[in-house]
Amino acid sequence: MSIDEILLRSRFSPLKRVLSYDIFNTGLNGWMTLMPNFTEYPDFDVPKTLVCKDQWPPVMLSSATYRYPGTHGAMSGTYSLKLSTRPVAAPYTEIPAEGCLGHAIKRMSFYRPGSRYLQIECWFSYTAEQDIVDGGDRPQPGLHETSIRDFGMGFDVQEGGKRYHVGMRYLNSVDGKLMQKWQFEQSSEEITDREWAFGLDGDWCKKGVDPWWFGRRFPNGDHDGFKDLPDGHQKLIYNETDCKLNWQYMRLKLDTQLREYVEFQCQDKIWDMRGIKADAIDGYNRIDNLINPLFWVGTDTDRRVFLYIDSVVVSQE
Amino acid sequence: MKMFNDSHLEVKKYFSGTFETHPYEVGWADEAIFFIMTEKIEDSPVLEAQVQLSQDGVHWADDGSRPHVFSGTGLHIIKVEPNFGNYIRLAVNITGGRMFLNLHIACKG
Repeated sequence: MSIDEILLRSRFSPLKRVLSYDIFNTGLNGWMTLMPNFTEYPDFDVPKTLVCKDQWPPVMLSSATYRYPGTHGAMSGTYSLKLSTRPVAAPYTEIPAEGCLGHAIKRMSFYRPGSRYLQIECWFSYTAEQDIVDGGDRPQPGLHETSIRDFGMGFDVQEGGKRYHVGMRYLNSVDGKLMQKWQFEQSSEEITDREWAFGLDGDWCKKGVDPWWFGRRFPNGDHDGFKDLPDGHQKLIYNETDCKLNWQYMRLKLDTQLREYVEFQCQDKIWDMRGIKADAIDGYNRIDNLINPLFWVGTDTDRRVFLYIDSVVVSQE
Repeated sequence: MKMFNDSHLEVKKYFSGTFETHPYEVGWADEAIFFIMTEKIEDSPVLEAQVQLSQDGVHWADDGSRPHVFSGTGLHIIKVEPNFGNYIRLAVNITGGRMFLNLHIACKG
């Protein structure tokens, strides 16, 4: 067994068939920023929609280099995949500010009959930009943990004529108040497509699609597109200063036959999610059998925040 | 085989006045080129762009090259001079009108 195979089996718990195993020290491996659709007249213009994807910064290979310690590097070498935001944020309950999100996606497809389970697992870390020290009237004014609103991972899937967004988000901070809890993607039953799109008529978006952008948000952290994971509070490692990264593990397993969540793990804690339905809607044209794993990160203040992915495995059985 | 990657920095948007591109990490690359596609203009804008480097992605200085000056529509190219380290960006100033830009960075290494 090669050292690569030993590391795969030691660090990850893949299902029987590994669809992709990406170590970002070797390159971007097909992960890129989600962009708008360039389909309109006269010059590949973008369809009118509320969601502003053209302000999401590019994903990049990061050496995680900081002002004082220099290069942090990754868990598997020098480089990790970095998602970043622009230094802009709106209050939690408002429509997201353009550029407040960073997003990464890879595009694949179902390839083998009878593949029921689908799983994504990764090693990640996150931090806020060490730009300026906030007001000196609180302890550790140069520690910016509360600037990170949320991050997450999941899938955009379409199979059997149904499309669903499934994923987990770590709601870290709401308007500066630490929440530190996991939520799963599932839109509220009673809301309409119009409410999902902030009251705008005629937007193409359907309830449950693109929840990082759409869906009403409420002051206590509730969100029309996410529900609290029972017993989902978890304090992740945000080390003593913004320039210390600790690599942490998370894994999400899905059942594409029942269209349900199965299991979520972060660090050494595992949640049984069986019975929680995916938010399935009628499929879109031309994308049946699509598997798009994705990550995102959002900022809670006018400061860039970063999500780093060292390595990621997508598997099926 | 070498690695190559092209990333967007700004996509199909009007600009005027000053702005800086998103801090971009290129430590893995041996060469970097900014591609500036001016798709449309309003009035008679002139774009001046200066490559800047940073140690930490927060504090920036000019890289010592001369500023690049463009006008009109079409594709403009800025080849970043060697020894650029990790964090790079463009500091841009557009005067005399607005430019509708598609701004990318292409790296190889």
